[in-house]
Amino acid sequence: MPTPPIQLSQYDDGPSLAAATRIVDGSSPDALYAHVPFCRHKCHYCDFYSLVDQRDRTEPFADRFELEAETIRGSIDASKIRTAFVGGGTPTLLEPPLLARVLAAIRAIPEETLDEFTVEANPETVSEAIAATLVAGGVDRVSLGCQSFQPDLLKALERWHDPSCVPIAVQRLRDAGIGRISLDLIFGIPGSTIDDWDRDLDAVLALEPDHLSCYGLVFEPGTPLAEKQRLGRVDAIDDSIESAMYDRTRDRLAAEGFEHYEISNWARPGEECLHNLVYWQEGDWLAIGPAAAGNLGGIRYRNLPRLDDWLDGTGLSPVVNVDQPSAVVASGERLMLGLRLRRGIDRAVLDGLVTGHAERQAAVERHLQRGNLVWHENRLRIADRSIMLADDILSDLL
Amino acid sequence: MKVRNFSIIAHIDHGKSTLADRLLHATSAVDERTGRAQMLDSMDLERERGITIKSSAVTVMHEYRGETYELNFIDTPGHVDFTYEVSRALTACEGAILVVDSTQGVQAQTVANAYLAIENNLELIPVINKIDLPAADPDGVSMEIEHVLGLPAEDAIYVSAKTGQGIPELLDAICEKLPDPAPSMGDKLRALIFDSHYDDYRGVVVFVRVFDGSISVGDKIRMMGTGRTFTVTELGRYTPFAQKLKTLGQSEVGYMVAAIKTLGDVRVGDTVTLEYDPAPEPMPGYKEPKQMVFCDFYPSSGDDEGGKRSDFESLREAVERLHLNDASFTFEVQHSEALGFGFRCGFLGLLHMDIVQERLEREGGVAIVQTAPTVSYIVDLNDGSTLEIQNPADLPDMSRVKAIREPIVKIEIICPVENIGDLMRLADSRRGSFRGQRFVSETRQILDYQLPLAEIIYDFYDKLKSITRGYGTMDYEITGYEVENLVKVEILINGEPVDALSIICHRSGAEGRSRAILAKLRKQIDRHQFEIPLQAAIGGKIIARETIKALRKNVTAKCYGGDITRKRKLLEKQKEGKKRMKNIGSVNIPQEAFMAVLEQEG
Repeated sequence: MPTPPIQLSQYDDGPSLAAATRIVDGSSPDALYAHVPFCRHKCHYCDFYSLVDQRDRTEPFADRFELEAETIRGSIDASKIRTAFVGGGTPTLLEPPLLARVLAAIRAIPEETLDEFTVEANPETVSEAIAATLVAGGVDRVSLGCQSFQPDLLKALERWHDPSCVPIAVQRLRDAGIGRISLDLIFGIPGSTIDDWDRDLDAVLALEPDHLSCYGLVFEPGTPLAEKQRLGRVDAIDDSIESAMYDRTRDRLAAEGFEHYEISNWARPGEECLHNLVYWQEGDWLAIGPAAAGNLGGIRYRNLPRLDDWLDGTGLSPVVNVDQPSAVVASGERLMLGLRLRRGIDRAVLDGLVTGHAERQAAVERHLQRGNLVWHENRLRIADRSIMLADDILSDLL
Repeated sequence: MKVRNFSIIAHIDHGKSTLADRLLHATSAVDERTGRAQMLDSMDLERERGITIKSSAVTVMHEYRGETYELNFIDTPGHVDFTYEVSRALTACEGAILVVDSTQGVQAQTVANAYLAIENNLELIPVINKIDLPAADPDGVSMEIEHVLGLPAEDAIYVSAKTGQGIPELLDAICEKLPDPAPSMGDKLRALIFDSHYDDYRGVVVFVRVFDGSISVGDKIRMMGTGRTFTVTELGRYTPFAQKLKTLGQSEVGYMVAAIKTLGDVRVGDTVTLEYDPAPEPMPGYKEPKQMVFCDFYPSSGDDEGGKRSDFESLREAVERLHLNDASFTFEVQHSEALGFGFRCGFLGLLHMDIVQERLEREGGVAIVQTAPTVSYIVDLNDGSTLEIQNPADLPDMSRVKAIREPIVKIEIICPVENIGDLMRLADSRRGSFRGQRFVSETRQILDYQLPLAEIIYDFYDKLKSITRGYGTMDYEITGYEVENLVKVEILINGEPVDALSIICHRSGAEGRSRAILAKLRKQIDRHQFEIPLQAAIGGKIIARETIKALRKNVTAKCYGGDITRKRKLLEKQKEGKKRMKNIGSVNIPQEAFMAVLEQEG
């Protein structure tokens, strides 16, 4: 049954439980995203919703999480759910019994066994008990935030873990039976050189991950890092060095047999993150937990991003930032996300996205002429040499 | 009955208007209860700035030694931009009161105004004002007047316009020392127009001084300069309240209303005669007003869209309305890449420009962006023709140009002796040539220079004020146009000349100004995928260069489920930003970049 159109003006002001019900009821998501907002320490580049020193709230969190999951289970069509992802924050900061309850609540939602169940972890939090809890909870993939293996660069990010805990965490996860491991790195950290980056790539490759995410550091507005930059206490590295680091990443990972499948993501064949592909291919996903973002039936929303208020509820979380993109905006988003994927967009799909948009069509032609876009096996994609300028290209296509 | 036609002339703030008020009170023309401060100034703005922009005339009666005198005060504008208007007002007089502040001494406009009066053969009465102030030095100041202007110190009258001290002596001196009007040269009407106002009810009110013959209500008149004819519907004078008359006779001063719709139909300095019984010759000295300084006014709209149409319409209304009251500025529609639609306006001088801008904002209620002022150039072409331009973009190809001439001014600075060196360095750095140096007193000197008008319209006066800590004053007079080594500097972005960015300047300063403009452009233009050369060229020869490095990174690293909307909005913003830019030579140039050449140099 098609979802009746929602009058957004009713909801776009404050948090709304009514909007949550309208969006979630009867939806049939492809994926679940759960958010655990606790952190031991707020890293200076992070702009995700996370809370420090709230560990006395972890038990109320688990209680409330179970209530929300239960309500969701009763109100959606769960037959299409294939993946789940628990992000944060630091999900592995939850004590093992609480983590077990959260994982169980998630697993209880889908009708079928999940094809992929990923949990994010910080290396220093991966104890043997946590590893065992993850496996027992049905988790088969862990994404570990390494960021760098060099203490001075970690310090520049206000990230305080000891790099030596990364191989230990990887070993513990593998020993416990986690089959798929993804590692995150950040390049372009203030003060870093190409040689630093090479050493980080060496270190991460030595751990033989199945999947790698390599992010150029972003000075997100509102973060302490951005503030330090504004005050002149830290400088972004020269963008030609950052660009060289990116080229080095692509070359080295290609040589190691990784496929570059999204701007910042590499995987061994068949090891792409299925959950993230749901985001990038405009699938439907459902949000659980405070500040978790979802996309159902063409409507984007976010659960209440305040832990106290979220804890007060009993069923669905009230939602904020409800956004129903118009057809033009939605097709623009598909272009943006589709071209962020290295495989690009199929010619027939592309035709549907640009037909009737003269400006968009002209922009595609212009960037093809300039060599920023190329056709490859009947798919349009961003040329290798232009990936670092993707936003410049994509902004013309919206 | 005896008649005395006279003006009060002074440097700004030396007390001219207060003295005029005091004289009106002393002759019982205005009593204390009904009198407003500074009766002669009619506009708020004038009162606030302490200067008089438009002159008018007031007639009062005074008894002296048993005889009744008709005293006609003719008020004059207080600034050099209105030199021509001042000189016309002075032509209508036989004498002038030269007011000097006893705490400030002789200043630049004291000298300039005194010279104008002397050129017009006026009898001068030096008046030392503000003698009630503790810092007053009337003896020193009267010595300065003797030194600089050759008027005997013992002739000076000491007054306090504020307390009234010395006012009876001054009134006596006006009656005794100022000459009677000269006898008529003929019986055909000749009346000099020395001012005009626009009145919402009556149209234009013209102020005249009758030299020959007489004028009556119902007369058909002709303006001898413009050739326009009108029928007189009202005559009168201000006492200071309007008093209607049937006739204005020989040597009388008063106003005339003749169903004249716009100030553009009336020219100060023109001669009024009778249509059916005209005078053979007009009064000498008539000139068309000449705009010397130009700048653009654009509506400053608060939103991102630059000049919105409706803001432009409000500006247009304000400009047209102000023009009814001040026909001496010119305007024409202008379009700028940076600022949208606006007006290019021409002014008699710098102060005139400031006044028009303030009045537009205040009386028209519109917020204005004003571009840096420029001057008008006369271009001599190889084919013998000449061209007058204000906009560098209008300069023809230099291969057709024989010479470019620019307006030159004679400038007189009065300043403390210790600042002479610094001021000479300032003037020298502005292509000034030294003309002379004179003593005003032990502590102050007059410095005479000649320099291009273009060099003083930037920040010369501000620099002068800061060097002299406010004590220096200056006055200038445009003396003509001279051929200078002027060049058109073209700005090239990625190899493409951008007309809107070109400037005209002296060859010696071209490199410095070019470098400053390129540095500003470099900051304003976003990096592109390719390296962008910014160049300044004279006739194809590059004189300065900057480079905007190629953009190597513009990518969002993370774009997961919760990020999509925000990232899309960021990209939309980038797109909108690009749309607002002007694309020249495949480079997107933001509006702000065009301001690089329009703005005052900092």
